Amino acid sequence: MTNLVYPQLETGALSQFPLRKTRRTRTVTNRAADGSTIKLADPAGVITEWNLAYSDLSDQEAATLRMFFEAAEGSLNSFTFLDPSGNLLAWSDRLNNEVWQRDPALTLTGDVADPRGRTQAWRLANTGTAIQTVAQTIAAPGACQYCLTAYLRAGVPATLRLWAGDDSVSADVTPVWNRLMLTSSNQSDVTSMRFGIEVAALATVEIYGIQVEAQPGSSGYKATSRGGVYEGAHLRDDALAIIRTGVNRNSCTVNIIHVNHL
Amino acid sequence: MATFPQLKTGAVAQYPVVRRGEFRNQTVRFMDGTDQRYRDSAAPRQSWQVSLSGLDETELAAIEEFFLANQGSFGSFAFTDPWDGHVYDDCSLAADGLSAAVVAEMRGATQLTVVRNR
Repeated sequence: MTNLVYPQLETGALSQFPLRKTRRTRTVTNRAADGSTIKLADPAGVITEWNLAYSDLSDQEAATLRMFFEAAEGSLNSFTFLDPSGNLLAWSDRLNNEVWQRDPALTLTGDVADPRGRTQAWRLANTGTAIQTVAQTIAAPGACQYCLTAYLRAGVPATLRLWAGDDSVSADVTPVWNRLMLTSSNQSDVTSMRFGIEVAALATVEIYGIQVEAQPGSSGYKATSRGGVYEGAHLRDDALAIIRTGVNRNSCTVNIIHVNHL
Repeated sequence: MATFPQLKTGAVAQYPVVRRGEFRNQTVRFMDGTDQRYRDSAAPRQSWQVSLSGLDETELAAIEEFFLANQGSFGSFAFTDPWDGHVYDDCSLAADGLSAAVVAEMRGATQLTVVRNR
């Protein structure tokens, strides 16, 4: 069976406002008579649910959702869901985490002042004579459109390159923080995407808020730990009601659930 | 020690915030109608209901990450009482659920209850 992916709308967005996301964890609690407690966590018991309310969908968009619902056979088959309110990258504030692939001549310094007045930025120094890259590969299908953004500055103006799969853009980095953006094109033949930043030889840049979203434009930065790619998600319901509200206007609500232990 | 996340303004809560105290007293009633009461806890159980709205994506994501890092009600953290600025070192979230709504760009909302452990 092919890997199912929850579809984007014609605009490239995965959902519309309002969007509701619910997280549930499971803690076994023994509560004593005096109100004190003994607790046991269950990390495998995390459940995430999304309530996606759509309105004014075109007939084509409604048909796409309908076809997806039929392919998933309601709640039966799992699919990959890209969190529409999340940053798809994992550990976005921890460039020293093992999820990041870093070329050997690239040195990292943490706790650098960021544009929000805190110290979550990183300094990337390329001590080599060749281009060096820091990147992350995520299990996101190439058939979707992505937006890669990052805040960047450099004490000495430098040029770098943002990469999203096969797409890239070159950008000048100045001493002032700027948010750079790259929107990827459709790369339907791949099942994972690599997003990265290429630093020129002997250049030093500071970076903060690296983010990938499954939409053509960017939203506010969201720091992550697990990242927003949910493999093994399911439709919560076995029914999908699409209401035709006018000519080429449809509305519906989709509930999606992801459970760690399934 | 983990700390309850601050909003970008530096505040930990918005109006309205509810602070609740709860004793756990026991009462023994006698046949003649009199009763005898005693404390069944060392101190009142304090909790704060924090309702947040108008959050931007960064603030809402920070709350969500905080919830996951604590594994819901399991973890312990320091919480600054928004009424008087007192820092309580050992607090937890009251529930294993967190619901976040985003009604528009930079208009997220959520609600949490923090309890002081003992």
